[in-house]
Amino acid sequence: MNNRLRVLRAERKWSQQDLAERLEVSRQSVNAIETGRYDPSLPLAFKIAEVFDLAIEEIFLRD
Amino acid sequence: MRGVSERAADAKPGIWGRPGTWAGSIFASFALIAGLRMSDAIDATTGFILMVLAMVQLVPMVKAAVARQRAQGYVSPAIERYNKRFLFASFGYVLGLGLAVTINDRVELGQGETVLIALLPIIPIFAMIWTMARYIVEEQDEFLRHRAIMASLFGLGAVLALGTFWGFLETFEVVPHIWAWWVFPVWAIGMGLAQCWLSFRNRMGAEE
Repeated sequence: MNNRLRVLRAERKWSQQDLAERLEVSRQSVNAIETGRYDPSLPLAFKIAEVFDLAIEEIFLRD
Repeated sequence: MRGVSERAADAKPGIWGRPGTWAGSIFASFALIAGLRMSDAIDATTGFILMVLAMVQLVPMVKAAVARQRAQGYVSPAIERYNKRFLFASFGYVLGLGLAVTINDRVELGQGETVLIALLPIIPIFAMIWTMARYIVEEQDEFLRHRAIMASLFGLGAVLALGTFWGFLETFEVVPHIWAWWVFPVWAIGMGLAQCWLSFRNRMGAEE
């Protein structure tokens, strides 16, 4: 699954660490999701959407 | 924008601040002690004392690993609990094994007593397995949990593959017999290697 995490983060000038702290996860988690190595669970996807104030489908895209 | 914790993460620790240094030192110590014992350069008691001293290196190794996590801005409470439990079980294992071997060598034991003595190293190993299971249950970070599960499965695959391979060679008398307690270290080494690989792969994509 593709995602726009890196772009959205860059627009807000957040580092991976900043986003990790907002999501209460490790920086490794943010990096793995961003690079497409790990697809988050539905609860975490909702949390990511909440942090960016967007709908899930505006962040995560089908291949 | 880079936070303070990220800049701290970039500051590379000295050689003694790296967990890998201590892990390497522990493996080298074990290899050296095993070599000295096999060549009869030291007796069982000296070997036991040296093993205990080698295990003490686990303390700075764990401290270095926690310091690295702190520098990266995230310390999983589950990992902290795992480290403490594993350290406790490891010392219990060395102590239990040393006592069991010493008693078995010096005292004439019946079968029932021998089983009880054998439990001395077995119970701490069970504690290590329980510790690993609890980590997977308690880890709140789903990616770290996923990584631990994948590494455990890799370790399991290594045990199954090596066990089957060796077992059949043993059946056809090509290789000598190996005691079954080797399954745990082989599984743990397989898991550790997989964790290192997955962690390295993850760091490759991390932002500077």
